Amino acid sequence: MAITILPPVVDDLGHRPPYHAESDDSMSVDSDEDIDMTGTGSRPHKRPRLGGKIGTGVVTPGEVVTDDPQWMRGHGTYINPLSTSIIATVAGTVHKTNKLLSVHPLRARYTPEIGDLVVGRIVEVQSRRWKVDVAAPLLAQLPLSAINLPGGILRRRTSADELQIRSFFSEGDLVVAEVQSVHQDGSASLHTRSLKYGKLRNGVFLAVAGTGGSGASSSNVKGGVGSGSSGAGANPGGAGGVVRSRRQVWTADTANGGGEVDIILGVNGYIWISKHTDGAAAASSTTENVSITRMEEMVSSSIYSSQNDEIAPQTRREIARLAQCIQVLVQGGVRVEEGTVMGAYEASLQVDLEVGDDGEDEEDRQEGREYLEGSKARRILELEVQQR
Amino acid sequence: MAAQQKASSASQTPHLSPAELSYLYTSLSLPQNPIRPDGRSPTQFRPLTAEPDILPGTNGSARIGFADGTQAVVGVKAEVEKTVLSADTLDASNLSQQQGDFAAQEGRDGREGAGSAAVAGHGSWVQVSIEIPGFRDDDALPVFLSEMMRESLVGSVAGGNDSSDEMAGGLKGRLVINKRWHWRLYIDSQGEEDPFFDDDWAVAEHLYPRGTTNSTVKLSSSVPQVRPPITLLVISVGENTIFDPSREEIAVADAVLAISVARDGGDKNLKLLSIRTIDPPSRLTQPAVPNSENVNALGATAPTEDVAVLNPATGEEEVPGVWRPRRGGVKRSVIAQMVKTVLKKGGVGEEVLEGLEGVEVE
Repeated sequence: MAITILPPVVDDLGHRPPYHAESDDSMSVDSDEDIDMTGTGSRPHKRPRLGGKIGTGVVTPGEVVTDDPQWMRGHGTYINPLSTSIIATVAGTVHKTNKLLSVHPLRARYTPEIGDLVVGRIVEVQSRRWKVDVAAPLLAQLPLSAINLPGGILRRRTSADELQIRSFFSEGDLVVAEVQSVHQDGSASLHTRSLKYGKLRNGVFLAVAGTGGSGASSSNVKGGVGSGSSGAGANPGGAGGVVRSRRQVWTADTANGGGEVDIILGVNGYIWISKHTDGAAAASSTTENVSITRMEEMVSSSIYSSQNDEIAPQTRREIARLAQCIQVLVQGGVRVEEGTVMGAYEASLQVDLEVGDDGEDEEDRQEGREYLEGSKARRILELEVQQR
Repeated sequence: MAAQQKASSASQTPHLSPAELSYLYTSLSLPQNPIRPDGRSPTQFRPLTAEPDILPGTNGSARIGFADGTQAVVGVKAEVEKTVLSADTLDASNLSQQQGDFAAQEGRDGREGAGSAAVAGHGSWVQVSIEIPGFRDDDALPVFLSEMMRESLVGSVAGGNDSSDEMAGGLKGRLVINKRWHWRLYIDSQGEEDPFFDDDWAVAEHLYPRGTTNSTVKLSSSVPQVRPPITLLVISVGENTIFDPSREEIAVADAVLAISVARDGGDKNLKLLSIRTIDPPSRLTQPAVPNSENVNALGATAPTEDVAVLNPATGEEEVPGVWRPRRGGVKRSVIAQMVKTVLKKGGVGEEVLEGLEGVEVE
């Protein structure tokens, strides 16, 4: 079957605002089928909430959370100087910590912090720096002085370097970098002064929700076929997405003759999955016991290459499988980190075996066997949750 | 200039790095067994969610959603309009049909048999408008899309007057009430996508059959055997033909085609209504610099001379692993292969139509 058309999924009512039960216009009944439409359909009643009673559901920007003066305002709220009522400034869930009232956004952009490992895409080349999209509210900057020169030469950047700035990174290129500093306005400065950082090649890119996008609901993947309905794996406490963890970069041994695959989880939710290259491994594994001058020598000249190595079809297949596993985790609202990704990968292999056991037509199984969606995705999430 | 670029379909895909493009292209062009980034087989479609009758103000409506959050809403409204009978109408209808495909030709034949425009209906009675966030309604993309939809819709069953009386003149004919009045059909669709521009093409192609299904049900529930046409988005990468491409896959395509097919009257054969080529975005991508020419890679560990290999699909020489923007143009055999995959017995076109017919609209 080439095409499948599914009935709409009724989303998990747990995260619903309580209003839709009391609204009686026919629009909202229709639009309740889908989370995207709640904005137009089940709009809260205009009257402000009264007394000390605070809604536990979703509030929208501008909505009065409470007008009881006993509460202090926290993140995501605002108080008009002339009144005591607390107004939400973001769409999200209300959280109470003793007498502190805050609103956690349903989805938000990544907020850079010093030391974060991020994957970014060059969007602009300026005379002495690059502007990099890191999924933050503002573009990050990568100064020419914050990159390694090929061959590890240490010197001032000259006008010759400025002229050939595009030979290092040009528009569209993906870089893995570290946040060096965060400016007053929240924009970040990056650096790639390590062998671990630099231009990315030999793999695939995918973008999921990053740190900061972690709200209280799994609805950051909207209206999806598998989202919300995944019951088993959905984790109502936190949304799927990349979180800051001990290891953001690791090498995985893949099955089916895929060999070694590198996975880079940018804290900003940008992910790079690529074939493991030996040169970089040799360099990075020896960095600990190599003196600083030696290390600079070992910077391979190929760090600014945009030519892919030869990658076997088996490796490509496993890279695609890993990418899908991460998508499944995000849609199921599971955090993305080394443990969960590898768990989901193992689970997907197991699901393949299970499917293989069914006496299906050989031809059928081969066809689109690697597409993880629907029931396969649910099964992977189940297995993944069991493991934890 | 900037505004002009924005209007081109090719500039709508995001910048991908040359390394990504090369990886994708090589994966998708592997002989016999392309590896798609999401693991689908070349002819596999992404699952859709669909629900009808969501807009109370329309005569028929539907919502289509993709797993990735891309959505589209379609509404169909019918209005009674006075038929203007004049020589101008006839001329205008002739003109409007000449721009179309061979289906329109047949439509004209059908009308001649019926005798007058009042019986045959008029192509302009169907009005399709498509709204995409971030586009003006006179931008090239929405205009092109809606015209593509309208054309195949109007042309679809135009030659069907011999199969049943009710289908005389096709959809146009069904809009006729009597000599003085006719229905005017407004089909509006609103794409509403989530984080990216993503696949409007694909969405539009899917919402289209559903939207028109509703309209057919409204207008003539007595002709269930006639189905609206479908438009499939097909790309070719290397020698492979790939259906329902995702945004990234379109970005590396050698050729992008929108193929409209419909059931041909009573029999089960498929009829090709139109093929439109779409400006492939791979044309405007950034080229990669091979290591041998990279000033920063001089003295790299392996200074092996790269051997250029001939790409069989485009006839251009390429160094493996180095992305070159496509110059456009593919071999005729590749196009033929794409069309054949859609049209052949048990091919994708038939499967999709069967899939759509299997859907129950309550």
